[in-house]
This record gives sequence, C-alpha cells and structure tokens, in this order.
Amino acid sequence: MLAETIASASRSPAAIRRSILEMLHRARASHLGPCMSVVEALAAIYASVDLEPIRRRARDRSRVIVSKGHCAAAVYATLAHYGLLSFDQLQSYCADGSLLAGHVSHAVDGVEHSTGALGHGLPVACGCAFGLRNLRADHSHVYCLVGDGEMQEGSNWEAIMLAAHHRLSNLTLLVDSNRISSITATANVINLFPLEDRFQAFGWTPYAVDGHSPAAIADTLARIRHRGELAAVVCNTIKGYGVPFAENQPIWHYRSLNDDLFQQALTNLDEAVRS
Amino acid sequence: MRTRIIDSLFTAMREHEDIFFLTADMGINLVERFAQAYPDRFLNVGIAEQNLIGVAAGLANAGFRPFVYTISNFLVHRAFEQIRIDVALHRYPITLLGTSSGFDNAPLGPTHHILDEWGSLRAIPGIDIYCPASTTYAAGLVPLQLARNNPAYVRIPKGSFDHPALGAGDTIYLPKRDATSLLVAYGATVPACLAVHESKAPASLLVLNRLRPLEDLRLPLSSHRRVLVVEDHFAHAGLYSLLCQYANEQSLPCRLHTAAPDTYNLHTGATERFYHSMYRMDEPSLTAFINA
Repeated sequence: MLAETIASASRSPAAIRRSILEMLHRARASHLGPCMSVVEALAAIYASVDLEPIRRRARDRSRVIVSKGHCAAAVYATLAHYGLLSFDQLQSYCADGSLLAGHVSHAVDGVEHSTGALGHGLPVACGCAFGLRNLRADHSHVYCLVGDGEMQEGSNWEAIMLAAHHRLSNLTLLVDSNRISSITATANVINLFPLEDRFQAFGWTPYAVDGHSPAAIADTLARIRHRGELAAVVCNTIKGYGVPFAENQPIWHYRSLNDDLFQQALTNLDEAVRS
Repeated sequence: MRTRIIDSLFTAMREHEDIFFLTADMGINLVERFAQAYPDRFLNVGIAEQNLIGVAAGLANAGFRPFVYTISNFLVHRAFEQIRIDVALHRYPITLLGTSSGFDNAPLGPTHHILDEWGSLRAIPGIDIYCPASTTYAAGLVPLQLARNNPAYVRIPKGSFDHPALGAGDTIYLPKRDATSLLVAYGATVPACLAVHESKAPASLLVLNRLRPLEDLRLPLSSHRRVLVVEDHFAHAGLYSLLCQYANEQSLPCRLHTAAPDTYNLHTGATERFYHSMYRMDEPSLTAFINA
C-alpha cells in the first residue's frame, strides 16, 4: 500500500485522503471526521506559501499554525504530499516511539507548533505575525487553521481583538467549519453561526467558501493577500468528507477503521475520484 | 526589585534586538518608556493573559526573546496551560516577570495573595524559577537570564531590600559558628531571617535567589540539627516540599520545619506583616523557634 501511495504521490485532496486513511487504519486511530473535513483547507494553505524557507526553517519563513491539533494525520499527510515530511515517517503514526503523535507535534518536520488543547493556535499565530512584521518580512504570511467548535474557546477572541486592533494583515485565519464538535452539532451547543457576522463585528473581513473546493479557497487566499486584509475564511465543510459512512456522524470523531471499513472507505474514495 | 529588573531590561534592549517586551496592561509609570523607545518591540495585549503567553510564544517562534510582565496570579494561574504547552513544551526562551508575590498585596484580599504560583510551575519541567532577595541580585538578573536562555519565571517581591552580606550569587550561604539551626529563605522572607541570623540567635542562613534548578545544598542542609524553611508560599508546593525531596534524594540526615501559610485566608491584613506574624514568619517567631 505504501509503495502505491508513493507512486501516486500527488498534491490532490484524494491522494492526501488516501494517505490519511492508511495512517488511521494502520494505527487504529481516531479523528477520521476532522481529518477528512480539513484536507482542502490544509492543501490550499501549503499551496500558497513558499515551501523552501519552511524546509530550511528560515527566520522570515511563512508560518502555518494548525490549532485543531487533533487533525494531526491530515497535517502530516499534507506535509508529506508537499514534500516537507517523508512518506516513510507517515507509517509510524501513533506507533510506539514515533514522533508522529495523534495531535500535531513540533517534533515533526515542517510543523511549527504543537497543539492539541484548543484555543492555543491563534494567539501563537498572532505572535508570529507581530514577529514577521517587526522583521519587515512582507513576503511571508501567517496562516492559522481552527475548527468551528474551537471558536467557543475564549482565548481565540482575545487574539481576534488584538489582531484587529493592530491590523495584522499578514495573518489569515481559516475556520474548518464542519459544524460538528466533539459529541454533537456545534449549533446545538453554542450557536455562533453565521461566523462571518462575528468576525465582521470584531473588525475582521469575513469570507465564506466551499471548504472542499481547492480553487475557491486558493482564490480567496490570493485575494486576501492582494488586498492586504485581516481576514477570516470560513471554510464550509463536511465532517468525514469523502468517507460516506462517516460523513456528518459525530461518532467518527472517535471511531477507528477496521479492515472492512478501511476497504470500504478506499473504494468510496476511488469512486469519488472517478466520478 | 521591580525597578532594578525593568531598568536592566530596558538597558539590555538596546544591545539585544531580539528582546520583545509584553504586558497585559500592567506597569503604570514603568512600561511607558518601552513603548516610546522601542515601539516595534513593545506590546500591550490588553487584559488577556492567555493571549499574552500565546503571543509571546509566537514571537519566540519568530526568533525573539520575549519578556512578559504582569501580576503573578494573572500571569501564572490564568495562563497556566499556555505556559505548559506554548512555552515549556517548546522550550522557548520566554521570561515571565511576575510581581506582587506572597502577601505583597496584603489588603487586596486572597485573590491577590500569591501563595501557590511557583509551586504550580514546579510541576512543569524545564522552567527556571528565580526570586531575587536583593536589589543587587535583581540588577544582574536580566543579563543572567539572557545568558542562560531558558524558559524562566521571576517572582518579583516588592521593596528594595539589599544588604552587603547578600551578593549576586544564585545561592548565598551564611554559616554561623555553633549554629544549631539553619534558616532558609527567599524573596520577602529574607529580611527577617537575615535580622535573626545577625542577632545572637544561633542560626545560619541560606538565601536562594534561584529556586530551580537548585545548586548543591548538601553542606548547609547537613550541617544543622534543624532546618526552618521560611516562605510566603504554601509549604506543600513550595521550597519546604522541594527541600524535603532534595534531602531524601541526597540521603541527608536533616530535619526540616516550615514557617509558611497553609491555606487561603479571608481575613484582611493592612500589610504583609499581619500575615508574616500569623504564620510565624516574623522576627520574634523565628527567634523563638531558634531558641526553643
């Protein structure tokens, strides 16, 4: 399976999803739902940044801070497909002694910051943005990715207020808005929708896009950079996207793939790509 | 203490262009000059301490060395998870400058008594902990920290105590001939302990300007029949507890006692002396202990 993956290595969302499924199945790991919803947003971010400075950890590199650390398998797979992490390392996901834990770890090549407790990424991304501004690194940008459930964390709003006050236009926030948090629909817990109105009220320029359209996300990120806006992009996504039996099912935040379901998921993925 | 540290930080910012000063809207008549002299390296994040630490971590990620200033309880307790994950896990060279320690804010009530903050940080590996007992040590602390370059917390007592016997070392041991007891103190408890040491009482004195990592303390701890740890912090999480562990690990035949608060206190004290007396940390109580 691995050889096939390498042979078919590409930056397509389908290829990244296949790698994620392999990792989750091999490790019998959870978080399939959020890993599947976030793929296009992650890919769009890495497609829009200069990878070489990230690879050599240049001080003025662009930063990608993934705050929803539980989508680690998606992050690692995306890093591999973008050449920042070796495919070999993906095999060790959640294995004994591996550095690839089930939440994003800065011990892994290409990862800026360890996350896992929600509400940490955006403050850190703000700090990176202040730092890059100080360094006059206008060519670089900071992207932060959060989940819509995570927007219930107060620390995010502390950072949102500060970024607006200082017009941190070298920072862009993407929200993986799959509308399901840990155990139920986010709207049933604390309904923040439409998130765009919240961002607008806090002085940010809001955008809403189809979070499974790489072109739509890429176009929006390019427009934001061009206009120099402090912007939040609400990526409307489906939790578990591409794996029909898991789509919009809260339990797939936790459930892991057995052999049958893994094969079924791969078949579904292949059919989706063909169709 | 605070002025010495802030003065030396201000001076260091001229030479070290990677120092970044952050506050959570604290430090009136103290931090304004940073904003004026170094507007690109000064940030008031507002009353938002989680963000304060997160932003500092992001700046450290971008190659800066943040110094973060506010009152200790807001700094440590409010942002504990940010310190744990965003600072300590990443080993970022961030210096946390916390004021108003112990009973420094006595009349302001128990929300502002800071008796459990560095003990909380003890639970987190890799953070150096300082508590200057003298302005001499405080004045040299920023250069020391810049050289060591570790994540660090500085517990800053109020006042400007100094004494020729207290040098610039992390650990100061003042033995006394025929002393049967050793007083161990840091920060705000040092003046009373030093006074007792300088009296006729048979007491040696050990002053710790740095609480973690500890230097070699085997000689002072093993040279006295009784050791009294005097601290404006809960003993169960503070230096008493730390030295009990140290003595056990070093197999030292010493007997440790404590003079410290043991719980939150709803009764108001006009000054810290009310509590120091209550918890037998004042000079008469210490003398009585030594002579008992």
